[in-house]
Amino acid sequence: MTRLVEVPAHFDDRSFDQFAGAFAEARRDDERLLFDAHAADWASPYGLVALLAAAQAARRPGSGAPAERPLLTAPTSPEVLSYWARAGFFREAAGLFEIHGKVPRVKAAEESEVLLPVTPVRAAEDVHAVVSKIQQRASAILASELSLDPKATMGFAMALSEACQNIVEHAGTGGWVAVQAYNWRRKLARRVVVIAVADAGVGFRHSLEPTQNKRFGDRWGDAAALEAALVQGVSRFRDPGRGQGLAGIRRYLQRWTGKIAIRSGTARIAIVPQWDDDVPLKEGLPPFPGAQVLIIIPEQGSAER
Amino acid sequence: MIQYIDMHAVLQESISGVYADLVTRPTGRVVRERIERAIAGRGEGDTGEITVARMDFAGVGCIDYSCADEIVAKLLRDRPAVLVLSGITDGHREAIEPVLSGHGLAALIERADGTLESLGAAAAATALLDELVARRLAARRPGGTYALTLA
Repeated sequence: MTRLVEVPAHFDDRSFDQFAGAFAEARRDDERLLFDAHAADWASPYGLVALLAAAQAARRPGSGAPAERPLLTAPTSPEVLSYWARAGFFREAAGLFEIHGKVPRVKAAEESEVLLPVTPVRAAEDVHAVVSKIQQRASAILASELSLDPKATMGFAMALSEACQNIVEHAGTGGWVAVQAYNWRRKLARRVVVIAVADAGVGFRHSLEPTQNKRFGDRWGDAAALEAALVQGVSRFRDPGRGQGLAGIRRYLQRWTGKIAIRSGTARIAIVPQWDDDVPLKEGLPPFPGAQVLIIIPEQGSAER
Repeated sequence: MIQYIDMHAVLQESISGVYADLVTRPTGRVVRERIERAIAGRGEGDTGEITVARMDFAGVGCIDYSCADEIVAKLLRDRPAVLVLSGITDGHREAIEPVLSGHGLAALIERADGTLESLGAAAAATALLDELVARRLAARRPGGTYALTLA
Protein backbone atom coordinates (compact mmCIF):
# COMPACT_ATOMS: atom_id res chain seq x y z
CA MET A 1 0.00 0.00 0.00
CA THR A 2 1.22 3.50 -0.80
CA ARG A 3 0.19 6.64 1.00
CA LEU A 4 -0.16 9.90 -0.89
CA VAL A 5 1.45 13.16 0.27
CA GLU A 6 0.41 16.09 -1.84
CA VAL A 7 3.08 18.69 -2.48
CA PRO A 8 1.45 22.14 -2.38
CA ALA A 9 1.19 23.83 -5.77
CA HIS A 10 2.95 26.84 -4.31
CA PHE A 11 5.45 25.23 -1.97
CA ASP A 12 7.24 27.56 0.42
CA ASP A 13 7.53 28.17 4.17
CA ARG A 14 3.91 29.33 4.33
CA SER A 15 2.46 26.19 2.77
CA PHE A 16 4.95 23.93 4.55
CA ASP A 17 2.63 23.27 7.50
CA GLN A 18 -0.03 21.96 5.11
CA PHE A 19 2.64 19.65 3.64
CA ALA A 20 3.88 18.61 7.10
CA GLY A 21 0.29 17.78 8.12
CA ALA A 22 -0.18 15.54 5.09
CA PHE A 23 3.23 13.97 5.67
CA ALA A 24 2.51 13.22 9.35
CA GLU A 25 -0.87 11.71 8.47
CA ALA A 26 0.54 9.55 5.70
CA ARG A 27 3.39 8.24 7.85
CA ARG A 28 1.08 6.84 10.51
CA ASP A 29 0.72 3.43 8.87
CA ASP A 30 4.39 3.07 8.06
CA GLU A 31 3.51 2.49 4.42
CA ARG A 32 5.52 3.58 1.43
CA LEU A 33 4.91 7.24 0.59
CA LEU A 34 4.19 8.85 -2.75
CA PHE A 35 4.96 12.58 -2.90
CA ASP A 36 2.77 14.01 -5.59
CA ALA A 37 4.25 17.18 -7.06
CA HIS A 38 2.67 16.86 -10.53
CA ALA A 39 0.63 20.03 -10.03
CA ALA A 40 3.44 22.08 -8.52
CA ASP A 41 3.75 25.47 -10.14
CA TRP A 42 6.37 27.01 -7.89
CA ALA A 43 8.67 26.01 -5.05
CA SER A 44 10.94 28.21 -3.00
CA PRO A 45 14.40 27.02 -1.93
CA TYR A 46 12.75 26.23 1.42
CA GLY A 47 10.20 24.00 -0.29
CA LEU A 48 12.87 22.15 -2.25
CA VAL A 49 15.17 21.39 0.68
CA ALA A 50 12.19 20.50 2.87
CA LEU A 51 10.98 18.00 0.26
CA LEU A 52 14.39 16.33 0.35
CA ALA A 53 14.26 16.21 4.15
CA ALA A 54 10.83 14.57 3.94
CA ALA A 55 12.26 11.94 1.60
CA GLN A 56 15.12 11.36 4.00
CA ALA A 57 12.65 10.78 6.82
CA ALA A 58 10.37 8.61 4.68
CA ARG A 59 12.94 5.98 3.74
CA ARG A 60 11.67 2.66 5.03
CA PRO A 61 14.28 0.18 6.16
CA GLY A 62 13.94 -3.02 4.18
CA SER A 63 14.35 -6.39 5.80
CA GLY A 64 17.97 -7.06 4.92
CA ALA A 65 17.52 -5.19 1.62
CA PRO A 66 18.45 -1.57 0.92
CA ALA A 67 16.00 0.99 2.33
CA GLU A 68 12.91 1.46 0.22
CA ARG A 69 12.78 4.93 -1.25
CA PRO A 70 9.56 6.96 -1.34
CA LEU A 71 8.05 7.79 -4.72
CA LEU A 72 7.95 11.23 -6.28
CA THR A 73 5.73 12.33 -9.12
CA ALA A 74 7.67 15.10 -10.80
CA PRO A 75 5.99 18.36 -11.80
CA THR A 76 4.36 18.24 -15.23
CA SER A 77 5.02 21.87 -16.11
CA PRO A 78 8.19 22.06 -18.25
CA GLU A 79 9.09 25.44 -16.72
CA VAL A 80 8.76 24.11 -13.18
CA LEU A 81 10.74 20.98 -14.06
CA SER A 82 13.45 23.10 -15.62
CA TYR A 83 13.66 25.37 -12.58
CA TRP A 84 13.80 22.46 -10.11
CA ALA A 85 16.57 20.94 -12.20
CA ARG A 86 18.54 24.20 -12.41
CA ALA A 87 18.11 24.67 -8.66
CA GLY A 88 19.86 21.32 -8.19
CA PHE A 89 16.83 19.55 -6.73
CA PHE A 90 16.78 16.49 -8.97
CA ARG A 91 20.50 15.88 -8.56
CA GLU A 92 19.86 15.28 -4.84
CA ALA A 93 16.40 13.78 -5.25
CA ALA A 94 17.67 11.01 -7.52
CA GLY A 95 19.18 9.13 -4.61
CA LEU A 96 16.28 9.71 -2.24
CA PHE A 97 13.16 9.18 -4.35
CA GLU A 98 12.03 6.78 -6.98
CA ILE A 99 11.10 9.52 -9.43
CA HIS A 100 8.21 9.16 -11.85
CA GLY A 101 7.94 11.59 -14.73
CA LYS A 102 10.41 13.02 -17.18
CA VAL A 103 13.24 14.87 -15.53
CA PRO A 104 15.27 17.21 -17.72
CA ARG A 105 19.02 16.75 -17.85
CA VAL A 106 19.92 20.29 -16.91
CA LYS A 107 23.09 21.30 -15.19
CA ALA A 108 22.47 22.86 -11.79
CA ALA A 109 23.04 26.54 -11.02
CA GLU A 110 25.48 28.91 -12.81
CA GLU A 111 22.73 31.48 -13.28
CA SER A 112 22.39 34.70 -11.36
CA GLU A 113 19.24 33.79 -9.43
CA VAL A 114 20.56 30.56 -7.99
CA LEU A 115 23.42 31.64 -5.78
CA LEU A 116 23.86 28.15 -4.42
CA PRO A 117 21.95 25.19 -5.84
CA VAL A 118 20.53 22.59 -3.48
CA THR A 119 23.69 21.27 -1.86
CA PRO A 120 24.14 18.44 0.63
CA VAL A 121 25.68 19.24 4.01
CA ARG A 122 27.00 16.26 5.93
CA ALA A 123 30.34 17.32 7.35
CA ALA A 124 32.55 20.33 8.07
CA GLU A 125 34.19 19.90 4.67
CA ASP A 126 30.82 20.54 3.00
CA VAL A 127 30.46 23.80 4.94
CA HIS A 128 33.88 24.91 3.67
CA ALA A 129 32.78 24.20 0.11
CA VAL A 130 29.49 26.08 0.57
CA VAL A 131 31.20 29.15 2.08
CA SER A 132 33.85 29.20 -0.61
CA LYS A 133 31.31 28.93 -3.39
CA ILE A 134 28.92 31.54 -2.01
CA GLN A 135 31.67 34.13 -1.67
CA GLN A 136 32.56 33.71 -5.32
CA ARG A 137 28.93 33.93 -6.46
CA ALA A 138 27.18 36.24 -4.00
CA SER A 139 29.43 39.24 -3.62
CA ALA A 140 28.35 41.11 -6.74
CA ILE A 141 24.69 40.22 -6.33
CA LEU A 142 24.50 41.30 -2.70
CA ALA A 143 26.08 44.63 -3.52
CA SER A 144 24.42 45.41 -6.84
CA GLU A 145 20.98 43.89 -6.43
CA LEU A 146 20.34 44.19 -2.69
CA SER A 147 22.33 47.40 -2.19
CA LEU A 148 24.16 45.76 0.68
CA ASP A 149 27.49 47.19 1.69
CA PRO A 150 30.20 44.99 0.10
CA LYS A 151 31.33 44.34 3.68
CA ALA A 152 28.06 42.49 4.21
CA THR A 153 29.16 39.68 1.93
CA MET A 154 31.45 38.19 4.52
CA GLY A 155 28.73 38.47 7.15
CA PHE A 156 26.43 36.66 4.76
CA ALA A 157 28.96 33.86 4.37
CA MET A 158 29.32 33.70 8.15
CA ALA A 159 25.56 33.43 8.62
CA LEU A 160 25.39 30.73 5.97
CA SER A 161 28.26 28.84 7.57
CA GLU A 162 26.60 28.86 10.98
CA ALA A 163 23.23 27.79 9.57
CA CYS A 164 24.90 24.83 7.83
CA GLN A 165 26.94 23.90 10.88
CA ASN A 166 23.72 23.49 12.76
CA ILE A 167 23.18 20.35 10.68
CA VAL A 168 26.72 19.04 11.15
CA GLU A 169 26.76 19.63 14.90
CA HIS A 170 23.20 18.90 15.96
CA ALA A 171 21.12 17.03 13.40
CA GLY A 172 22.79 13.65 13.68
CA THR A 173 22.29 13.24 9.94
CA GLY A 174 22.92 15.14 6.74
CA GLY A 175 20.80 17.93 5.33
CA TRP A 176 20.63 20.41 2.47
CA VAL A 177 21.13 24.10 1.87
CA ALA A 178 20.07 26.33 -1.01
CA VAL A 179 20.53 30.05 -1.59
CA GLN A 180 18.62 32.08 -4.08
CA ALA A 181 17.89 35.69 -5.00
CA TYR A 182 14.49 36.63 -6.31
CA ASN A 183 11.81 39.28 -6.45
CA TRP A 184 9.61 38.86 -3.42
CA ARG A 185 6.27 40.21 -4.48
CA ARG A 186 4.35 38.82 -1.52
CA LYS A 187 5.71 41.19 1.09
CA LEU A 188 8.16 43.69 -0.24
CA ALA A 189 7.97 43.97 -4.00
CA ARG A 190 11.74 44.00 -3.79
CA ARG A 191 14.66 41.67 -4.25
CA VAL A 192 15.58 39.32 -1.46
CA VAL A 193 18.23 36.70 -0.89
CA VAL A 194 16.93 33.56 0.79
CA ILE A 195 18.93 30.90 2.59
CA ALA A 196 17.05 27.66 3.20
CA VAL A 197 18.48 24.83 5.27
CA ALA A 198 16.68 21.61 6.13
CA ASP A 199 17.40 18.25 7.67
CA ALA A 200 15.37 15.35 9.00
CA GLY A 201 17.60 14.79 12.02
CA VAL A 202 16.88 14.78 15.71
CA GLY A 203 15.59 18.36 15.95
CA PHE A 204 16.23 21.06 18.56
CA ARG A 205 14.22 19.52 21.40
CA HIS A 206 16.05 16.23 21.29
CA SER A 207 19.41 17.93 20.87
CA LEU A 208 18.94 20.23 23.88
CA GLU A 209 16.97 17.86 26.10
CA PRO A 210 19.85 16.50 28.21
CA THR A 211 20.95 19.98 29.30
CA GLN A 212 17.73 22.04 29.20
CA ASN A 213 14.85 19.76 30.08
CA LYS A 214 15.08 20.34 33.84
CA ARG A 215 15.57 24.08 33.49
CA PHE A 216 12.29 24.47 31.61
CA GLY A 217 10.31 21.87 33.59
CA ASP A 218 6.71 21.59 32.40
CA ARG A 219 7.31 24.14 29.66
CA TRP A 220 9.85 21.89 27.96
CA GLY A 221 9.01 21.04 24.36
CA ASP A 222 9.79 22.02 20.79
CA ALA A 223 8.89 25.68 21.32
CA ALA A 224 10.97 25.98 24.50
CA ALA A 225 13.92 24.34 22.76
CA LEU A 226 13.73 26.76 19.86
CA GLU A 227 13.41 29.70 22.24
CA ALA A 228 16.43 28.49 24.21
CA ALA A 229 18.54 28.13 21.07
CA LEU A 230 17.56 31.23 19.13
CA VAL A 231 16.68 33.74 21.83
CA GLN A 232 18.88 32.63 24.73
CA GLY A 233 21.82 31.30 22.71
CA VAL A 234 21.78 27.97 24.53
CA SER A 235 23.71 25.03 23.12
CA ARG A 236 23.73 21.35 23.99
CA PHE A 237 27.46 21.65 24.67
CA ARG A 238 28.57 22.84 28.09
CA ASP A 239 31.50 24.73 26.60
CA PRO A 240 30.86 28.41 27.47
CA GLY A 241 31.77 29.51 23.94
CA ARG A 242 28.95 27.53 22.34
CA GLY A 243 25.78 29.10 21.04
CA GLN A 244 27.68 31.73 19.06
CA GLY A 245 26.27 30.68 15.71
CA LEU A 246 22.61 31.60 16.00
CA ALA A 247 23.49 34.69 18.05
CA GLY A 248 25.80 35.80 15.25
CA ILE A 249 23.12 35.20 12.63
CA ARG A 250 20.70 37.32 14.68
CA ARG A 251 23.18 40.20 14.89
CA TYR A 252 23.77 40.07 11.16
CA LEU A 253 20.05 40.03 10.39
CA GLN A 254 19.37 42.85 12.80
CA ARG A 255 21.84 45.02 10.93
CA TRP A 256 20.34 44.26 7.51
CA THR A 257 16.68 44.04 8.66
CA GLY A 258 16.58 40.38 7.79
CA LYS A 259 14.38 37.58 9.04
CA ILE A 260 15.09 34.14 10.46
CA ALA A 261 12.52 31.44 11.12
CA ILE A 262 13.30 27.99 12.47
CA ARG A 263 10.83 25.14 12.47
CA SER A 264 11.52 22.01 14.46
CA GLY A 265 9.15 19.28 15.57
CA THR A 266 5.80 20.91 16.25
CA ALA A 267 6.95 24.52 16.71
CA ARG A 268 8.29 27.41 14.72
CA ILE A 269 10.09 30.49 16.00
CA ALA A 270 10.89 33.64 14.08
CA ILE A 271 12.72 36.91 14.56
CA VAL A 272 10.32 39.11 12.67
CA PRO A 273 11.46 42.39 11.11
CA GLN A 274 9.13 45.35 10.65
CA TRP A 275 8.38 44.58 7.03
CA ASP A 276 6.91 41.17 7.84
CA ASP A 277 3.74 40.13 9.67
CA ASP A 278 4.81 36.64 10.68
CA VAL A 279 4.21 35.54 14.27
CA PRO A 280 7.20 35.11 16.60
CA LEU A 281 6.22 31.68 17.89
CA LYS A 282 3.84 28.97 16.71
CA GLU A 283 3.15 25.81 18.63
CA GLY A 284 1.05 22.73 18.00
CA LEU A 285 2.03 22.48 14.35
CA PRO A 286 1.97 19.16 12.50
CA PRO A 287 5.11 17.25 13.52
CA PHE A 288 8.01 17.17 11.10
CA PRO A 289 11.42 15.66 11.83
CA GLY A 290 14.65 17.63 12.13
CA ALA A 291 14.96 21.37 11.68
CA GLN A 292 14.16 23.74 8.82
CA VAL A 293 15.77 27.17 8.77
CA LEU A 294 14.72 30.13 6.63
CA ILE A 295 16.81 33.31 6.42
CA ILE A 296 15.67 36.26 4.32
CA ILE A 297 17.78 39.34 3.63
CA PRO A 298 15.91 42.07 1.80
CA GLU A 299 17.12 44.70 -0.59
CA GLN A 300 18.13 47.62 1.58
CA GLY A 301 15.57 50.37 1.99
CA SER A 302 12.71 47.90 2.16
CA ALA A 303 12.44 48.09 5.94
CA GLU A 304 10.53 51.37 5.73
CA ARG A 305 7.81 49.94 3.59
CA MET B 1 59.67 37.93 21.92
CA ILE B 2 56.56 38.11 19.82
CA GLN B 3 55.64 34.92 18.06
CA TYR B 4 54.48 35.33 14.47
CA ILE B 5 51.62 33.12 13.28
CA ASP B 6 50.59 33.10 9.64
CA MET B 7 46.93 32.12 9.94
CA HIS B 8 46.49 31.40 6.24
CA ALA B 9 49.48 29.06 6.27
CA VAL B 10 48.26 27.30 9.41
CA LEU B 11 44.84 26.90 7.80
CA GLN B 12 46.34 25.43 4.65
CA GLU B 13 48.35 22.96 6.71
CA SER B 14 45.31 22.06 8.81
CA ILE B 15 42.71 21.17 6.20
CA SER B 16 42.78 19.25 3.00
CA GLY B 17 41.84 21.17 -0.09
CA VAL B 18 42.31 24.74 -1.09
CA TYR B 19 39.90 26.59 1.17
CA ALA B 20 40.89 29.99 2.51
CA ASP B 21 38.11 30.38 5.06
CA LEU B 22 38.29 29.83 8.77
CA VAL B 23 34.91 28.22 9.23
CA THR B 24 33.45 25.39 11.33
CA ARG B 25 34.36 24.23 14.83
CA PRO B 26 36.41 21.23 13.70
CA THR B 27 38.60 23.45 11.51
CA GLY B 28 38.97 25.98 14.31
CA ARG B 29 39.95 23.24 16.72
CA VAL B 30 42.67 21.88 14.42
CA VAL B 31 44.03 25.37 13.72
CA ARG B 32 44.07 26.24 17.42
CA GLU B 33 45.83 23.04 18.34
CA ARG B 34 48.56 23.79 15.79
CA ILE B 35 48.96 27.28 17.22
CA GLU B 36 49.10 25.86 20.76
CA ARG B 37 51.83 23.43 19.71
CA ALA B 38 53.78 26.28 18.13
CA ILE B 39 53.46 28.33 21.30
CA ALA B 40 54.43 25.36 23.49
CA GLY B 41 57.42 24.72 21.24
CA ARG B 42 58.85 28.08 22.20
CA GLY B 43 58.75 27.08 25.84
CA GLU B 44 57.22 30.35 27.04
CA GLY B 45 54.83 28.53 29.31
CA ASP B 46 57.82 27.13 31.17
CA THR B 47 59.23 30.57 32.01
CA GLY B 48 55.92 31.82 33.35
CA GLU B 49 55.92 34.66 30.82
CA ILE B 50 52.68 35.67 29.23
CA THR B 51 52.56 34.49 25.62
CA VAL B 52 52.57 37.28 23.07
CA ALA B 53 51.58 36.24 19.57
CA ARG B 54 51.03 38.22 16.41
CA MET B 55 48.40 36.47 14.31
CA ASP B 56 48.43 37.56 10.68
CA PHE B 57 45.04 37.05 9.01
CA ALA B 58 46.17 38.24 5.56
CA GLY B 59 44.88 35.81 2.95
CA VAL B 60 42.14 34.46 5.20
CA GLY B 61 38.78 34.87 3.50
CA CYS B 62 35.95 34.51 5.96
CA ILE B 63 36.06 33.65 9.64
CA ASP B 64 32.80 32.62 11.23
CA TYR B 65 31.69 32.98 14.85
CA SER B 66 32.37 29.37 15.70
CA CYS B 67 35.92 29.54 14.42
CA ALA B 68 36.49 32.91 16.12
CA ASP B 69 35.46 31.33 19.39
CA GLU B 70 37.36 28.11 18.82
CA ILE B 71 40.60 29.88 17.91
CA VAL B 72 40.88 33.40 19.31
CA ALA B 73 38.65 33.15 22.38
CA LYS B 74 39.92 29.73 23.43
CA LEU B 75 43.57 30.73 23.04
CA LEU B 76 42.85 33.60 25.43
CA ARG B 77 40.67 31.58 27.80
CA ASP B 78 43.10 28.74 28.23
CA ARG B 79 46.26 30.70 29.04
CA PRO B 80 47.38 34.24 29.83
CA ALA B 81 48.19 35.62 26.40
CA VAL B 82 48.35 38.80 24.38
CA LEU B 83 47.13 38.30 20.82
CA VAL B 84 47.94 41.00 18.29
CA LEU B 85 45.81 40.49 15.18
CA SER B 86 47.08 41.89 11.89
CA GLY B 87 45.71 41.73 8.35
CA ILE B 88 42.23 41.97 9.83
CA THR B 89 39.28 42.97 7.61
CA ASP B 90 35.99 44.40 8.79
CA GLY B 91 34.45 40.99 8.19
CA HIS B 92 37.00 39.26 10.43
CA ARG B 93 36.38 41.87 13.06
CA GLU B 94 32.64 41.35 12.87
CA ALA B 95 33.09 37.73 13.89
CA ILE B 96 35.83 38.12 16.49
CA GLU B 97 34.66 41.18 18.42
CA PRO B 98 31.34 39.88 19.81
CA VAL B 99 32.93 36.56 20.70
CA LEU B 100 35.63 38.30 22.75
CA SER B 101 33.24 40.80 24.34
CA GLY B 102 30.88 38.00 25.31
CA HIS B 103 33.63 36.40 27.39
CA GLY B 104 35.08 39.64 28.80
CA LEU B 105 38.19 39.00 26.71
CA ALA B 106 40.18 41.28 24.44
CA ALA B 107 42.82 41.24 21.75
CA LEU B 108 44.72 43.99 19.98
CA ILE B 109 44.50 44.84 16.30
CA GLU B 110 47.59 46.10 14.53
CA ARG B 111 46.40 48.52 11.87
CA ALA B 112 48.15 48.99 8.56
CA ASP B 113 49.94 52.08 9.92
CA GLY B 114 51.24 50.05 12.85
CA THR B 115 49.05 51.55 15.56
CA LEU B 116 47.35 49.23 17.98
CA GLU B 117 43.62 49.21 18.54
CA SER B 118 41.71 47.26 21.14
CA LEU B 119 39.10 44.68 20.24
CA GLY B 120 36.69 43.22 22.77
CA ALA B 121 36.20 44.08 26.42
CA ALA B 122 37.72 47.48 27.24
CA ALA B 123 39.14 46.59 30.65
CA ALA B 124 40.85 43.49 29.32
CA ALA B 125 42.27 45.47 26.38
CA THR B 126 43.85 48.01 28.73
CA ALA B 127 45.57 45.19 30.60
CA LEU B 128 46.95 43.83 27.32
CA LEU B 129 48.47 47.18 26.38
CA ASP B 130 49.96 47.52 29.87
CA GLU B 131 51.55 44.10 29.52
CA LEU B 132 53.10 44.93 26.14
CA VAL B 133 54.41 48.28 27.36
CA ALA B 134 55.84 46.74 30.55
CA ARG B 135 57.72 44.19 28.45
CA ARG B 136 58.81 46.94 26.05
CA LEU B 137 57.12 45.18 23.19
CA ALA B 138 54.96 48.25 22.56
CA ALA B 139 55.46 51.94 23.09
CA ARG B 140 53.35 55.05 23.13
CA ARG B 141 53.62 57.18 20.00
CA PRO B 142 53.24 60.93 19.76
CA GLY B 143 49.51 61.54 19.66
CA GLY B 144 48.76 58.93 22.26
CA THR B 145 48.52 55.85 20.07
CA TYR B 146 50.50 52.66 20.70
CA ALA B 147 52.56 50.55 18.32
CA LEU B 148 54.69 47.44 18.58
CA THR B 149 58.35 48.28 19.03
CA LEU B 150 59.57 45.31 17.04
CA ALA B 151 57.26 45.82 14.09
